[in-house]
Amino acid sequence: MNNNTITTKVNHFLYPSALFASKEPYLVTTILGSCVAVCFWDKIKKVGGINHYMLPLWNGQGLASPKYGNIAINKLHEKMLQLGSTKENLQAKIFGGGEVIETTVYQYSIGQRNIEIAENTLRELNINIVASSIGGKKGRKILFDTSTGEVRLKFINSSQ
Amino acid sequence: MIKISDEELLDELKRRFEENKKTVSELHRLNSTLTEVNKKLSDAESMKSHFISNISNEMINPFTSILALSKSILEVEKENWKKVTSLVSLIHTEAFNLDFQFKNIFAAAKIEAGEIYPEISKVNIEGVINEVIDSFKYEAKQKKLTVTFKTKTKAKSFYFKTDPEKLKLILSNLLSNAIKFSNENGKIEIENNFVKDKMIVEVRDYGQGISKENHEIILDRFKKLDTGINSINRGHGLGLSVIKATIDLLEGEFEIDSKLENGATFTFSIPESEAVSEGFTIDGNELLFEEEIS
Repeated sequence: MNNNTITTKVNHFLYPSALFASKEPYLVTTILGSCVAVCFWDKIKKVGGINHYMLPLWNGQGLASPKYGNIAINKLHEKMLQLGSTKENLQAKIFGGGEVIETTVYQYSIGQRNIEIAENTLRELNINIVASSIGGKKGRKILFDTSTGEVRLKFINSSQ
Repeated sequence: MIKISDEELLDELKRRFEENKKTVSELHRLNSTLTEVNKKLSDAESMKSHFISNISNEMINPFTSILALSKSILEVEKENWKKVTSLVSLIHTEAFNLDFQFKNIFAAAKIEAGEIYPEISKVNIEGVINEVIDSFKYEAKQKKLTVTFKTKTKAKSFYFKTDPEKLKLILSNLLSNAIKFSNENGKIEIENNFVKDKMIVEVRDYGQGISKENHEIILDRFKKLDTGINSINRGHGLGLSVIKATIDLLEGEFEIDSKLENGATFTFSIPESEAVSEGFTIDGNELLFEEEIS
C-alpha cells in the first residue's frame, strides 16, 4: 500500500459502541484501550466491516447496543451478510483488549474478557482469525482499509 | 516408578480435593449466572410482546384522534370558527406526542444498530434548554405546571462544544418524564452549571418519585413501573434507556436521586468535546498487518 492510495479514500472515525461496514473503500480509524475491535473482511467481494465494543456481554439491561461484544460481533456479521458476503469468504482480525488499568481480579479484567468473547464468538461463527494484536498494557490506534482488509496499527499510551 | 510417601500422597489428594472444590464452586457461580440470564431472556420475550401491543396502541390511537379531530374541523360551520382553536390544540397534542415517541424509537434503533455518532458543534446551551422548554409549553400548560430554568454560572458565554441534537433528545426525555410524573399545579426546575470542563444539568420535579429499588429497573428498555391497563402515564418505557445510552455516547454521567412520593431529580454531566481529528499520521512507530501475519 502506498501513501497515495491512503489519501484518496474516505476517512471515517469509529466511535466506541458503533459499528461500520461498507462496500465503498473507507479508511476507518479507531482508538482502543481495553476495548476490542473486530474487523471482518470478505476476500472475494472486497468488502470490510469493523466494530468497537467496550464490554464483553450485554446483561439484559438498557439498550442492546454494540457497546457489548456479543451484540457487536453478531451485528457486524449480520451486516456483512447483508452486504452480500458469505460466511465462508469472511476472515477476521482482532485488536485491542489491553489492560490499561492493572488488575488481578478476572471479573475486572475487561480487556481479557473482551478478547475472550471475540475468540469464542468467532469460533462459534466458524470464522478464521488471520491476524491479531491483543492484550498487553498499551492502547492502540488502528486504521482499517475496508477495500483491502489491511490494518495499520500504532501503540499509544492513552487509554479509552 | 517414583515412590512417594503416604504424607506426600495425602498432600496430593488434599490438593486435588481443593482444586475440585474450586471447580465446583466456579460451576455453581456459572450456573447461577446462566439461570439469571435465562430469566432475563424470558422476561425480554414477554416484554417484547407487551411492547408490541403497547406501541401499536400508542401509534394507532393518536392517528385515529388526529383523523377524527381534523374531520370535525372540516365540518365546523363558519360562524363556529372559535371551536377550531380548541380542536387544533388537541391535534397538536396528539401529533406532538407521536412525534416525540417516533424520535425515541428511531434513536433507540440507531443506538442498537451502532449507527449513532456525536456531531459536535459549538452550542448555545441556554438557547437549547429554552428551546426544549418552549416545545413542551402546551404539555406543561395542560397540567398547570410551571417550568423554571436558571443557570448558576456567571460566565458571559454559554458556548459549549457538544452535540446539540443529542442534548435536545436527553433534555426532552427528562422534561417529558418530569411533566408526566408531576402532580397538577406543580413545578419543575431545570438548573444548569459549568464546573471545570463539564456541563451539569439538573431536572427536578415534585411528583410521585421513584423508590430506591426501582432506580435500576427504570433504565431498562420497555420497562414501565406502572404497566396496568388503566395507567394514565403514556409512553413505552424507552425514554430513560435512550437517555442513558445517549449520555454514554457523549462520555457523560447520569444520576437519579429520588424517593417515593418525594419527587425526583435527574442529573447529568457531560464533558466538553474535543474536536475529533479524523486524520491518521504515519510515522516510524507503526506495524503493518498484512495477510501473512497471523
